Amino acid sequence: MRIRDVDKEKLVIATAIDQIVRDGFQGFSMNKLAKACSISVGTLYIYYKDKDDLIQKIGAITALEYFTNTVKNFSPQMSFEEGLWKQWENRAAFTMKYPKEVAFFEIIKHSPHSEIILDSIKEFADFRKIMTEFMDNGLRNKELVPMTFEAFWSVAYGPLYTLLNLHTEGKSMGGKPFKLTKEIMKEAFSRTIKALKP
Amino acid sequence: METDLNTIHVFKTNITTVDPACQLRKTLDEHQDIQQWSIDHEDVDCVLRVVSNVLKPETIIGMINEFGHECQELN
Repeated sequence: MRIRDVDKEKLVIATAIDQIVRDGFQGFSMNKLAKACSISVGTLYIYYKDKDDLIQKIGAITALEYFTNTVKNFSPQMSFEEGLWKQWENRAAFTMKYPKEVAFFEIIKHSPHSEIILDSIKEFADFRKIMTEFMDNGLRNKELVPMTFEAFWSVAYGPLYTLLNLHTEGKSMGGKPFKLTKEIMKEAFSRTIKALKP
Repeated sequence: METDLNTIHVFKTNITTVDPACQLRKTLDEHQDIQQWSIDHEDVDCVLRVVSNVLKPETIIGMINEFGHECQELN
């Protein structure tokens, strides 16, 4: 009789993320993963059909966690400035707490798996709806200047992700040690919001 | 609904490729007691995974052997 072992499942997920972030998809294998988790490769195949299935299932769990955290205490009814700041705070908090998951998510995002993963998460449609509503409200209330979505996204989140990348690396230009603080984030945010307001 | 773990059977095989038109594929596809099956061709063990409420591992091994392939249950 096989019984679902939640702790083992968690170990498998964490180890897979570790290995993929370190070795990439090519260097990753079911055998290596089973060995690192001290489980038989047979057990691994009980849970996942193959390597792609495993990447997609773990990708979906990670993506869902990321989206759920991004909209925590956020409402599309918030003023544009308040809402965008909440988004910054949530995205920063998640990245700082789970840097490996975020690195894994980045690898996934630029891979052929990304569409399959996003299609498999039914909550993703809700997430997209919330974000669209937030932007629409901002436009209607004249808190946001109309622009191409990609241009908007790069201005609204680009500065944050640049700072987060520096924080994750622990150093800025020229190797100078760097730690992202709320003050620095606020500094960048105040300029970002100015750029987005009409 | 999640698959009952006890209905999943996993085997090490030497099935390196499964031609879309081959008899093995046809048999597994059309078997009324097999809900789902797959082979991981990327893996060295060419792992065959079969979901079936009814079939016993020995029966599946027998079926695969009949097609001239090795098949051994992975525990």
